[in-house]
Amino acid sequence: MISTLFEIFKSNMVQIPLIQPIIDYLMQIPLINFIVALILWRPFFAVVIIPGLTVLLLYLLYIVWFERKLTARVQWRVGPLEVARPIRGAIQALADGLRYFFQEAIVHKEAHRPYFVQLPILAFIPILLPIAFIPAGNVVGIKSPYAVQLVVAFLALIPITIIAIGWASNNRFAFIGSVREALIYVSYEIPFIIAVSSMIYLYGSGDPYVAVEKQSIVPGAIMNPIAFLVFIIAMLMATSRLPFEIPEADQEIAFGPFVEYSGMLFGLVMVLAYEKLYVMALLFVILFLGGWSGFYCELLGDLNAPLWLFIKTIIVISILAIVRSMYARYRIDQAVRYSFSWLIALSIVALVIGIAVGWIV
Amino acid sequence: MKVEKISRSPLEELKRHVGVIQEAFKQAVIPDRVTIEYPRERRKYPENLRGFIVLDKSRCISCFRCAQICPANAIQMSYFENFYPGIDYTKCIFCHFCVESCPTGALASSTLHDMAFKSLEDMKVKPNQMMRLPAAIREDVQSVEYDVTKKGWRLIRKMELEDIKVVRILPKLKPRRAFCLEPESCLGCRQCMEVCPHEAIVMERCEITLEGQIVGKGCVLKITEKCVGCGLCVRQCPMKILSLKEVE
Repeated sequence: MISTLFEIFKSNMVQIPLIQPIIDYLMQIPLINFIVALILWRPFFAVVIIPGLTVLLLYLLYIVWFERKLTARVQWRVGPLEVARPIRGAIQALADGLRYFFQEAIVHKEAHRPYFVQLPILAFIPILLPIAFIPAGNVVGIKSPYAVQLVVAFLALIPITIIAIGWASNNRFAFIGSVREALIYVSYEIPFIIAVSSMIYLYGSGDPYVAVEKQSIVPGAIMNPIAFLVFIIAMLMATSRLPFEIPEADQEIAFGPFVEYSGMLFGLVMVLAYEKLYVMALLFVILFLGGWSGFYCELLGDLNAPLWLFIKTIIVISILAIVRSMYARYRIDQAVRYSFSWLIALSIVALVIGIAVGWIV
Repeated sequence: MKVEKISRSPLEELKRHVGVIQEAFKQAVIPDRVTIEYPRERRKYPENLRGFIVLDKSRCISCFRCAQICPANAIQMSYFENFYPGIDYTKCIFCHFCVESCPTGALASSTLHDMAFKSLEDMKVKPNQMMRLPAAIREDVQSVEYDVTKKGWRLIRKMELEDIKVVRILPKLKPRRAFCLEPESCLGCRQCMEVCPHEAIVMERCEITLEGQIVGKGCVLKITEKCVGCGLCVRQCPMKILSLKEVE
């Protein structure tokens, strides 16, 4: 049985010429060759290494520090600095994570204990499932012609877990936060889905491979700029970032649905929005910025496509991080009115453009 | 009450958005912040900063002026050889009235303003601890200076270290001397003579003999050239007939 598994892994391995001698050497050692073959098995490599879990973790360490530092610079502060001074506090997020890990996770008396504890972990499922469907060149978890639709569907599940977290917390701030989350959810989800479907009409398929192939000359952002704009605004709303930081609003309801969490559980729920942003940015890059296409380097082989996808995603997120320091928060009524009037109108215009361009191309 | 809606033209709105984005990116690349990274950087302070007070024992004449003028009642005179001021830094408000009131310039200011004490008792600094600057642990590698113009503030960083030692500035006081306003009211108690640190007051002999003859001159006390105008005798005189006057 192990030998059949080994054959399956071996037949579908990621080819990286740069580290091929090391892999060849390791493949001769028994037991270790099985592990190496498993790691380099394409579906496993896509989900666990890049663009999956490992890179997601690195991205989290980077973005938390980068966002704090950038906001601090714009607001004339210094930001995190004392942890690892020579690199300007770059491992601050790691230090915080370690602290959360060893801190006591308090479950208060009024909370619904089973749901309160398990929901932060359950919330990971709709985050990790889309990553299995997002391809990066040859490296792909599950190949599906409906990958874009599936990713959108899984993303729609995340607010449900957040609302459930708010309910399980049994706290007035958490209640307000989860109601706000529900309100924002209905207001961003419709324009978001219409914007994505406009791009699906444009490419004629929900297959990321088709989308990337059609963007080989002109990226999707130029083909349908309105959908590009709507997607960015919906992305800001979906990940509750300023100016739409309504469900989490630190100053009003003290981190909203997550107010009762502490310790490792807080660490899990805090990064939820960042992980959602990562998945949405991956989708964004595939739909609008040409996906994994880029300069091809012979030495990296199969690693080229995931690296390009990851670099583009990081650049998109880094640019989005500056929005936090530019705008003040909208009121709830303003945000809902804005999304139900302007954003839906814009997304319908984008849909018309998408159908028209898709018909021409 | 209804708040009126502010209506602007879309062009103006767009202009403002562009301005915001431009400013944010400008600040992200080259921030205008003026934060000093304190222990590593030290701000260059002006020489007349009111910081830790240093005492020059040889100049002190124990006139008690510093202790008297102190608005926070932080100065206590303690005795060894003579009375010297000691400052209680729990009370001190760094007004430096003591430094300015010192007639001989025995007290001087320093630019050392960030002091740390181990306990409340240590904050009552003894005169012998005030003779020199306390031991300083310096972590600063560069000094910083604010450049304030009409356009805004800017930080200038220099790799040189700032010197926290002070140049003692002697007070530019006009020379004063004690004068007796009403010599006829003098009791002849000779307290002024005893209190004078420079032995400037000389009591001339003036007594009536048994035969009824007056020996000596009429003036009871004479203030000689040695007087530095410290005012100790003025304070001591029970009849309040002494006063300080400026001399050219």
